[in-house]
Amino acid sequence: MQNPLTNIVMKWIEPDSTVIDFGCGNGSLLTELRDKKNILGYGIEIDQQGINECLKNNISVIEKDIDDGIDEFEDCDFDVAVMASSIQCLREPNVALKKILNLSNRCIVTIPNLGYWRCRLALLLGRMPVTPSLPSSWYGTENIHLCTIKDFEDLCNNEDFIIKENMHLNKNRQESSLAKLMPNLLSCEGVYLLAKK
Amino acid sequence: MKTEQKVHHFSSGIKLESGAGLDSFNLIVETYGELNSGKSNAVLVCHAFSGSHHAAGSASTDKKAGWWHELIGPDKAIDTNKYFVVAPNNLGSCFGSTGPTSHCEKTDDYYGKDFPDISVLDWVNSQEMLQKKLGINAWACVLGGSLGGMQALQWAITFPDKVKKAGIIAAAAKASSQNIALNEVARESIRKDINFYEGDYLKKGLFPKSGLKAARMLAHITYLSEDSMNDRFGRKMQDSDSKVGETVDYQVENYLQYKGEKFSEEFDANSYILMTKAMDSFDPAKKFNNKLDEALKNIKAKLLIVGFKTDWLFPVDRSKEIQLAAMKANIASSYLELDGVQGHDSFLFRTERYENNIKTFLGS
Repeated sequence: MQNPLTNIVMKWIEPDSTVIDFGCGNGSLLTELRDKKNILGYGIEIDQQGINECLKNNISVIEKDIDDGIDEFEDCDFDVAVMASSIQCLREPNVALKKILNLSNRCIVTIPNLGYWRCRLALLLGRMPVTPSLPSSWYGTENIHLCTIKDFEDLCNNEDFIIKENMHLNKNRQESSLAKLMPNLLSCEGVYLLAKK
Repeated sequence: MKTEQKVHHFSSGIKLESGAGLDSFNLIVETYGELNSGKSNAVLVCHAFSGSHHAAGSASTDKKAGWWHELIGPDKAIDTNKYFVVAPNNLGSCFGSTGPTSHCEKTDDYYGKDFPDISVLDWVNSQEMLQKKLGINAWACVLGGSLGGMQALQWAITFPDKVKKAGIIAAAAKASSQNIALNEVARESIRKDINFYEGDYLKKGLFPKSGLKAARMLAHITYLSEDSMNDRFGRKMQDSDSKVGETVDYQVENYLQYKGEKFSEEFDANSYILMTKAMDSFDPAKKFNNKLDEALKNIKAKLLIVGFKTDWLFPVDRSKEIQLAAMKANIASSYLELDGVQGHDSFLFRTERYENNIKTFLGS
């Protein structure tokens, strides 16, 4: 199964680098990066099925709930960390990002955009938004720290995270020139490559 | 399941880590399944402290079940339809490989207390001699739990080209102070047995049975979890007609008395001391300035490190430590934290997930 994120981040990742993927699921991103860029990957996952899939794909996987903190990794050193669709589920996303950038040179983060016009419309009509990047109902979601593209970029500014690259995706998780035009309104999801100042 | 038992004789002897040596030695080995023509499907399983070469096979009238029979067998986690499983008894143990109860040619007597100190590295070196003898270039995997997990780790470190995968289960990269302390209490109860005679009991035709029994009773508690003991025994009283001794009140007492007694009939006191000392001294990071990641940096095997949440002898953090050091050294390594209800002993028992994970790791 192709991970839609793969094509996007492929060009941001150097061959032979070490990559840690927080919330790696079945390890599909790491598998592709290994096969195409010869990276050494480690996945962090709590879901048992995902863990077994990683083992099957020969991907190193560490059973762990990211919400318990990532302090234990502080002695490690990675070229790139990936935090796809999970930063908004953490108790302190700003602290987590800072820590991640301390143990990796680069961090790839994806953000579901609450400023997306469909979200705004849903709220205007008095409903909690449900979109491709925010697929769960209000009571079923794990998201506790939602933000808009603008909010996220403000955070990066305030915390001195450098946005090396970014990409704004439409509801099909594809790069879109329309979304690029007015990302805060027209993109469903933002993908960022961050570095420490 | 095709099962064979064989005693392999090594006439060239072995030089031990302590500097001492054995002029020749035997390893008794059980194998399960068949070696393929490329000799690429061999899996070495290393036993824990009191285990033996009898790792698989269910119980029969004349034989106990193998210590890992829940995991080794046709279609099991370590599938003997696919893998040729090699299970040796360790040097210094007392089930058929050369140890303190063996006959020493030089002295024409039991080795007894004069059996040289043994280390985890010595076991691995002797197992590598066995590997050569079997004509196997590289193990598809080396697996073990507890002290067996320490051997699996040592294998990956010492012979990077001779092991493709290593499963390090319910183990630690070194014994903790508490581990050593518990072992010392056990050893002390053996030494203080009136029949111990400084380890020379065999020559006098005696055996420090009660000391060994007490040692095992203590150790047995450390293999279980508080919850599993509560669930199994609670505060239930033992029926008076099934008591093993007059002093027994509670079921848990009866159980420990029974287990300790059985163990003291099978195990050797000098082996107990020797093997717990091997566990205590295991510390591959020591030669590397206590940096475990440095010790692991030449590993080529893929590692699977498994801890059990209810294990308090080698708690999950000890397992995690190994994976973190491996990751720091850029070694492919996975870490799993399994539920297992039996405490440290959880590594012996099949659960659906445990079986699934081991099977997937071996097959990947």
